[in-house]
Amino acid sequence: MSTVAALDVATAWETAVDDAPVAVHAVAGLVAVAGADGTCWVLDTTTGDIVATVTLPGGILAARLSPDGQHLALGGPFGHAVWSRTTNTTLISKTGAWSAAVRWGGTDKLAVASGRRALVLTPDGAQLWATDPAPSTVTDVAWLRENRRLATTAYNGVRCYERHSARPVTEYPYLGSHLALAIAPTGRWICSGNQDASIHIWRTRDGGDLTMHGYPDKIARLAFDDTGYWLASDGAPDITVWDFSGKGPEGTRPRTLRAHETITALAWRPGGAGVLASAGVEGTLALWRATGGRAGARLAPAHARDLDQPVTALAWAGPDLLVTADWEGRVQASRLPAALPR
Amino acid sequence: MTDGATDLTETETDTAIDTRVPVTVLTGFLGSGKTTLLNRILTEQHGLKIAVIENEFGEVGIDDALVLDAEEEIFEMNNGCICCTVRGDLIRILGALMRRRERFDRIVIETTGLADPAPVAQTFFMDDEIASQLRLDAIVTLVDAAHIRTHLDEVKPEGVENEAVEQIAFADRIVLNKTDLVDHQQLAEVIARIRSVNALADILPAQNAAVELPEILDVHAFDLDRVLEADPQFLTDTEHQHDTTVTSVGIDLEGELDEDQLNTWLGTLLREKGADIFRSKGILALEGAERQYVFQGVHMLLDGEMGRQWEAGEPRRNRLVFIGRNLDREELNAGFAACLTAIPAAVNA
Repeated sequence: MSTVAALDVATAWETAVDDAPVAVHAVAGLVAVAGADGTCWVLDTTTGDIVATVTLPGGILAARLSPDGQHLALGGPFGHAVWSRTTNTTLISKTGAWSAAVRWGGTDKLAVASGRRALVLTPDGAQLWATDPAPSTVTDVAWLRENRRLATTAYNGVRCYERHSARPVTEYPYLGSHLALAIAPTGRWICSGNQDASIHIWRTRDGGDLTMHGYPDKIARLAFDDTGYWLASDGAPDITVWDFSGKGPEGTRPRTLRAHETITALAWRPGGAGVLASAGVEGTLALWRATGGRAGARLAPAHARDLDQPVTALAWAGPDLLVTADWEGRVQASRLPAALPR
Repeated sequence: MTDGATDLTETETDTAIDTRVPVTVLTGFLGSGKTTLLNRILTEQHGLKIAVIENEFGEVGIDDALVLDAEEEIFEMNNGCICCTVRGDLIRILGALMRRRERFDRIVIETTGLADPAPVAQTFFMDDEIASQLRLDAIVTLVDAAHIRTHLDEVKPEGVENEAVEQIAFADRIVLNKTDLVDHQQLAEVIARIRSVNALADILPAQNAAVELPEILDVHAFDLDRVLEADPQFLTDTEHQHDTTVTSVGIDLEGELDEDQLNTWLGTLLREKGADIFRSKGILALEGAERQYVFQGVHMLLDGEMGRQWEAGEPRRNRLVFIGRNLDREELNAGFAACLTAIPAAVNA
């Protein structure tokens, strides 16, 4: 194993919220920390001070700030909500439908998984269009083609929709329960994490597909880095990192990252320098040079810390600031040097 | 972690108390009294914090309980096993419940009268996240004493399951409700009929779904060490065979088993007949093993581990039961007997 210089990590600020965090998202100087019971705390990225608290009755499953930081979208077991920063008001939609994913397509529209449909809303919460029902509850949503096409995951595949058609314009079928969706920023690949402990990969262009089997557990978390060349996922104690450069990962071996028992969160550092942050149920927070070494290499963390409680959600607030939230509601911002030593 | 530390962890786990949250599944036809029983569970002064997942709109609404509505979503698994289905709605909802800081003492899942219990039970076998934090305590089936025979006798089109038969076949506890609506003779017939389908489940006669809650809430039916804890009398009791295609077959044979032969036999049986075998449970004596081998299965899925020590002088008895459709008693007996080692186990008196 090659030796890597340890990362120099300093605490920027710390605060606490009164709930078990399920999602953290940071953008435009704000950090949203969403609690399972239904309160989301909007914090200032520089200080950690509370800017606003937003409530979605019945609980929260997903939270995303709009790219300009002017709005916050929340999804929960009984509906969804949109908060406006300008007016500090929240529009709550008690649809009774399960909303496990919310995703902004630029600053002017928002996709919300809502039961077996996906809804596309204005930032004010008005409905622009909606998809037909999928065969099961929609588990994840993502935008393609400059936010004109919406991809959704549900039972038996990924379906893509556009505004002019409630029916799918393209389908990427694969039998089984798809839990999470990741689309390469290059637009070339669509990947889904499956209940049957596999990752399914489609080439966007022609639907050519392959399956990565052999994981012990379901894949609930998977993410491309900003270059679209690297895909990290859970599904095993070791995080796997697949190389999507060139012709894709077919026939290759992934890098594996060993530090956790069960992965609770993972996120690529923005900017595409191959740094990944991850957390595990055992309480370890790890930072990786996840694209180093050769294909098939097992990598050790560039930085690892044991915490009192496991981190349940984390997000990067820029390339040099990592925000983590643990089971007890402790929120911590860690500062990394802008230029990481190799 | 060093090897020594790993060993220590395992030893600790061995004796540790199971802290996973128990989950009770309530099944039964519309009108059998599920909602009445659920209300009993929620209102009785037990001081427990309960979460309820309902698959049909009921009239429950208790301040202390969290009630979540769900629509049944049955998902096939991509493992080449046609009967291996799970309940996507439950995975989703249970997963979200576990992420809450609020800890529930118990979760009750009320299924619709038409629900197949297999995907519900298989969810607890197939999803590691759920299995690590929740344990399926028991499947409790409510039966309307006055109407169950009509439901059981209902002839279904080819390939369509009789849900009433399935729900009885899968049950660990059967609440035989509304006994006030039938006479003694009818009650005896209904009990015999239920026994012929499921010889293993305890039958609890009741009126207004009034049962002692510990009888249905702390069953530990899916705990391997509780499997066949009580000597089931059905093993020799093959008297009342009705013309039902779903039956229980019990096997009770003394001797020690060749592990390889057993694996081959059980593996082949569940692979080929797993769709027809609803539940299986057993305590077995493997050749040379100091401890009992206990297993429990739902269709093709099997969970097994070493159980308690055989006591000195204790006969090496193998007891197992299959509940399922079109079971061939002779064939099962012969197949299992062939797994016994040639030499009878020596019993040190």
